[in-house]
Amino acid sequence: MKDNLVKLKSFQEDALASILAILSAFFVCGLMLAFIGHNPFAAYGALFRGAFGNTHKIAETLVKTIPILLMALGTSIAFKCKIWNIGGNGQYTFGAITSIAVGLYLDLPPIILLPITFIAAVLGGLLIGGFVGVLKAKLNANEVITTLMLDYIMLYILSYMVNGPMMDPEGFGFPQTPILPEGLRLMTVIPGTRLHFGIVIAVVMMVLTIYFWKSKLGFRIRLVGEDQDVALYSGIHVPKHLIMTMMISAGFAALAGWVEVFGLHHRLQENLAGNLGSIAFVVALLGRLNPIGIGIGALFFAALSVGGASMQRYEGVPYSLVGIIQGLVIIFVISKVVYERKKEKTIG
Amino acid sequence: MQQEQSAAVHLERVTKNFGHITANREVTFTLKEGSIHGLLGENGAGKTTLMNILFGLHKPDEGKIFVNGSEQHIENPTDAMNLGIGMVHQHFMLVKPMTVTENIMLGMKSEKAPLLDKNRVREDILKLSKKYGFKINPDERIQDISVGSQQRVEILTAIYRGSKVLILDEPTAVLTPSEVEELFEILTQLKKEGQSVILISHKLEEILSITDEVTILRNGENAGTTAIDTSVTKEELSRLMIGRDVLFDFEKSEVPLGKAELEVNNISAVNERGVQILSDMSFEIREGEILGMAGVDGNGQKELCEVLTGLRKIDGGEILVGGEPMHGTSPMNYIRKGVFHIPEDRQRSGLALGWWIEDNLIIKNYFSDRFSGKMLLNRKAIHEVGEKAVQDYNIKAPNSRVAVKNLSGGNQQKVILARELGEHPKVLIANQPTRGLDVGAMEYVRQKILDQKTEGTAILLVSADLEEIYQLSDRIAVIYNGTLMGIVENDADVQEVGLMMAGIKAKREN
Repeated sequence: MKDNLVKLKSFQEDALASILAILSAFFVCGLMLAFIGHNPFAAYGALFRGAFGNTHKIAETLVKTIPILLMALGTSIAFKCKIWNIGGNGQYTFGAITSIAVGLYLDLPPIILLPITFIAAVLGGLLIGGFVGVLKAKLNANEVITTLMLDYIMLYILSYMVNGPMMDPEGFGFPQTPILPEGLRLMTVIPGTRLHFGIVIAVVMMVLTIYFWKSKLGFRIRLVGEDQDVALYSGIHVPKHLIMTMMISAGFAALAGWVEVFGLHHRLQENLAGNLGSIAFVVALLGRLNPIGIGIGALFFAALSVGGASMQRYEGVPYSLVGIIQGLVIIFVISKVVYERKKEKTIG
Repeated sequence: MQQEQSAAVHLERVTKNFGHITANREVTFTLKEGSIHGLLGENGAGKTTLMNILFGLHKPDEGKIFVNGSEQHIENPTDAMNLGIGMVHQHFMLVKPMTVTENIMLGMKSEKAPLLDKNRVREDILKLSKKYGFKINPDERIQDISVGSQQRVEILTAIYRGSKVLILDEPTAVLTPSEVEELFEILTQLKKEGQSVILISHKLEEILSITDEVTILRNGENAGTTAIDTSVTKEELSRLMIGRDVLFDFEKSEVPLGKAELEVNNISAVNERGVQILSDMSFEIREGEILGMAGVDGNGQKELCEVLTGLRKIDGGEILVGGEPMHGTSPMNYIRKGVFHIPEDRQRSGLALGWWIEDNLIIKNYFSDRFSGKMLLNRKAIHEVGEKAVQDYNIKAPNSRVAVKNLSGGNQQKVILARELGEHPKVLIANQPTRGLDVGAMEYVRQKILDQKTEGTAILLVSADLEEIYQLSDRIAVIYNGTLMGIVENDADVQEVGLMMAGIKAKREN
C-alpha cells in the first residue's frame, strides 16, 4: 500500500513536471499573442477546436499521433540505455523504402505480401540499428554522430529512389513511386476519415513497451544504461545489449515508416519523414520515458500541429506560433532535466 | 576549562534532513582557535554532512553558525572561503594535466588581471611549502605526483587562499603509513602557526595521536566532546562512537574442511597495456576455508579478483570450480556456478547507485525462478525479498524502495552482502570487504563472512589490513607484484608476513 504510494508519487511528480512545462509554454506564448494584438484565449480555443472539434478533426490528430508515438517509444528505449538515437528519421525512411520496394516489386497475393512488407520494414530497422550499435559497441563511435549522418544518407537514398529506379513511370516526372494497390493499404478505422489501422498498432506497441520494461531483457537494458560497470559485474554482456537496444530502437522507427506509407501516403515521396524525428525525441523526454506519458505527449504534439492550422485559418494567428510553443516546451522540459541533474550532484 | 580561548567556529543546534533521513540532529560543535579537533563517528553518523554545512555545500534546516564569534549565513563555498574556511574533500578537486601552480591559481583573481601572474604564485607556493614542510614542486603536473602530494596541494590551496580553518575529510583513507606521518607533521606545523583544523575520521588511533579535542557523532547527534589526554582510551572512544563495546575478537568455529572448491593452477594475466600483472599463481581453497590474501594495495589483488570472477581473461593456467574448468567462460557462467564477488569499489562496480535496494539485490539473479517467469519479472517476489533483506541485514532504510545512493557506506555494503551471500555461494571472492567502513559495520561484515564459512563456502579474503586477515583466515597467502610470495598457516609470525608483503621471501625450510 505504502509502496504503491511511493510509486504513484514519483509518477505524479514526473507528470506534474511535464504539465508545468506545457503550461508555461502556453503562458509565454499567450503573452506574445497578447503583445501582437491577438486574444490568446480565442486563439487557443481555435487551436483546441481545430484538433478535437469533430470526428474528422480527432481522426486527423490521431493520424499524426501514430508515427510520433512509435518513434518516441523507440527513442525512449535507447534513452533508458543512455543511447542517444537521434536518427529516427533515417530509420523511418529506411523502413519505408525497404517495405515499399517489397510491396511494389514482389508479385504475391496481398494477404501474404502485406505481412512480408511489415517484416521487411522491421528487418530494415534492425539492420540499420544493428549497424549503429556495432559501430558504437565495437569501435566506440558516438551514436549521436552516426545516427545523424545516417539521416542524411537515407534522405538522399530516398531522393535517389523516387527520382530514379523507383520513380512512377506514369507519374509525369513527379519524384514519387507508383501508388500501392488497394489491397496493400492498411484498412481505415473510422470510415470517411484518414485514420487507419496504424493507430491500433501504435497503441499495442505502447502497451508492449510497458511490459518490455517489466521483462528480463528490459531489466538488463536498464542496468546497462544505469551503469555499465555494474552491468558487467552482474554478468551482462554489455556490447551485445548496446547493439540490441539500438536495434530495437531503430526497429520502432522503421515500423513507424511502414505504418505511414502503408496506412497514409501509400507511396514514397521525397523527404517523407519531415521533422518527425526531432518531435519524437522531444516527446520521449516530455513523456519522461514512460510509455503512457509518451502516448499523451505524442497526442499533444499531434494536436498542436493539426490545431495550429485551424488557428491560423480562423484567428489569423500565424502557424509559426505552433513552432514557438513546441520550442518552448522543449526548453522547459530540458531545463527541468538539467535542474534535476544539478540537484542530484549537490546532494550526492 | 579554558572558556577564555576563543572559538574559531561554533555550530549551534544544527539540524539537517535529507527526505526521511535525518543526517544531523541539533548538533552543537565548537572548534577552538589554534587547535586540532577530531570529528569521530561511524559511516553515516553525519560527519561529512555537518562539515558540508559549514563549508556552504548544504544549508542547515535549523541552527546557527558562528565564525569568530559572529553569526554567519554561509550560502556557498565561496562564502565559506571568504570567511577563511577551507575544505579538503575525500575526492580531490584537481585538474590532472595541469601543474601544481596552475591548480592553485585556478579561480583566483590575478593581480595582473587580465594576465596571469604565474611567477609570483609560484614563488608564494615555494615559500609556503618551505614554511610548513610540504615538499611540493610547483612545476610538476598533478597526474605525475603521488596521492599524498596531491592532498598536500589541496591543503596548500586552502591555505594560500587565506584559510584559517581547515576541514579535512578522512584525509588518511588514501595515504600510505609514511604519508600519514608526513601529513600529521604538517598538521602540527599548521597548528603552531595558528591554524585551526577539523579532522574527520573513523580511525581511533589517529584521533588519539593527533587531535587536541574530539567530538563524537552518533546517528547524527553529538554523543560527546572530550579533550584528548593520556586518560582517554580507544575503548572509551569506540563505546561513545557505536554505543557499546566492539568485539575485536571473533570466535572462530572449527569447520571441517571439505574438498577443494576453488583451484587455481599457474595462472598469468596481462593488463590493457600489456604489462604482466599476474604471473604463475597457484593455490586452492577448500569448502569451509578462508584463505586470506595479504598484500600492499596495487600488487595485483584487484586483477586476481577479476580473473577469478571471469571479468578478466587469463593468458595461461587454469581455474577450476568444483573440479570444473572455468577459465575462458563468461562472468555469467561464474555467477551461475556459484562464484560470488564482493568488489573492491562498491560504489563503482557493485551497486547501481540510482536504483532501489530491492533492484540492486537481484542484478545477479533476476533470471532465477524466484524473481521472474518466462519473460516478466515478478515485482511482488522481488519486493518481498527486498524487505526481508532490509530486516535481516539491518539496513538502515525506511523500506527496500530507497535508492542505494541515499544510504551510508556501511549500509551500501550490507546491500552487497545480502546479494552476494543470499544465493548460498560456493566460492566467495571478498575484496577489501571492510575498507572505509566504521567499526560497527566492519564487525558485522567480518561476522557475516565467518558465518558463510560455516556454511561451507570457500572464501578468498583479499585485504590490506593484516589484523583482519589474521582474525578471519585459516591460511594466509601473500601477494607481491603479481606473484604469490607464499602461503603460511594462520599462526605464522606477523613479521614474516610483513616481510613477504614487502617482497622479501621468508627464509624457511620447506
